[in-house]
Amino acid sequence: MNALVESAAPEAGAAGVRLEARGLGHRYGARIGLEPVDFEAGSPGAVAVTGPNGSGKSTLLRLLAGLLRPSHGSSHVRVGGADVAPPARRAVVGYAAPSLAFYEELTAAENLVFASEARGLDDPRRRAAAALEVVGLAARADDRVGALSSGMQQRLRLAFARLHGPPVLLLDEPGSHLDGDGRAVLEALVADHARHGLVVLATNDEREWRLAGRRIELRGRGLGRPA
Amino acid sequence: MPGDGSSSAAAVWAVLRKECRSEWRTRYGLNAALLFAVTSLTAVSFAVGRLGDRADLLGALLWVVLLFAALASLAHAFVREVEGGTMTLLRLVASPTAIALGKLLFNLLFLGLIELVTVPLFLVLMGAPPPSWPAFLGLLALGSLALAVASTLIGAIIAQTRGRGALFAGASFPLLLPVLAAAVSGTRAQWTGGAAGAELRLLAAYATALLAISALLVDHLWED
Repeated sequence: MNALVESAAPEAGAAGVRLEARGLGHRYGARIGLEPVDFEAGSPGAVAVTGPNGSGKSTLLRLLAGLLRPSHGSSHVRVGGADVAPPARRAVVGYAAPSLAFYEELTAAENLVFASEARGLDDPRRRAAAALEVVGLAARADDRVGALSSGMQQRLRLAFARLHGPPVLLLDEPGSHLDGDGRAVLEALVADHARHGLVVLATNDEREWRLAGRRIELRGRGLGRPA
Repeated sequence: MPGDGSSSAAAVWAVLRKECRSEWRTRYGLNAALLFAVTSLTAVSFAVGRLGDRADLLGALLWVVLLFAALASLAHAFVREVEGGTMTLLRLVASPTAIALGKLLFNLLFLGLIELVTVPLFLVLMGAPPPSWPAFLGLLALGSLALAVASTLIGAIIAQTRGRGALFAGASFPLLLPVLAAAVSGTRAQWTGGAAGAELRLLAAYATALLAISALLVDHLWED
């Protein structure tokens, strides 16, 4: 079982959103991606998940987002008391991770318009423009993603994650490649979302986990060693 | 629940539009497919001349050219997403069914565009006799549908596997052979004055069966 160190008690999150992991773990073939973990978190607030490389931070976020099927245990995302099954979580979860890539032949705005259209959201262009404005990318909206720097692409990931106004934000290494202004955007975004929703940050950067009111430390085997 | 409509027609339409825009910007498959179709038909035309009296060869040649012109692009619809790292984005905004349907519609559109150029060129360069248009167009439509469904399904299956190249060849052969056999046989029959009804029914049944299999499989294909 994964040892956890928690810096504060779970928050109540009565009418909002609640995450629960019960013996949640994952294997990639013979390798352990995440040793079984139990935790609960509720809105409003922010939770940081820390731990050594290979302890399963990214895997945990992918499991919570419904992008991975757990090898054992279960995860639950409850919105207004109703359990949202993994296939439907894309509607209530905003996800950003270094592995999240965009269509390089499309512009930043076109990528977000596509995401809005595919999600069936109203007024995709206005949403995309507003999301780019928040992360300071409005001036580069019509640039192809392939022409954006790593830091700008990271800002685009943050814009993508909050595009549909999800109650849960799952942010994996959200400060990657960000400059000072970008970090200020991230801090404001996390603080704003944590006032009403739930933010989960997977990071080992102290500047990032200090944005959260609570820390969960994964102490798995690290580096995906065999079982 | 925000955005609770990702399995809807809006998601399919969004995926289709995205595919069209990406293809238009990159010309990933279109240029290669048209180049293959035009050069192979021109080369055959120079080498053997007109084949107006060889209906047996005409049917086979037409479908082989169409198959090879379109196949590389059709089967790579999902592979491009995996290799470009955009599969996660796609899965976050649309259901597997909507993604597969959007890709299938794009593949159909792509095939239609290839045929729009290739078929008239084929009829002129090969000196083919005037086809029986209803049967000929029916065979093209149903053959294209079966080809698109089969290659979309194969593409979805192999996308996240290692050794995609070998698997593609292995998985394609049994799935595409019935399509080619029926399409070639029907095309030859309509040029020789025979009936192509059986082949048309076979192609329709095969495409329907593959669609049903795809609908059952697609939700489980991309689970890690």
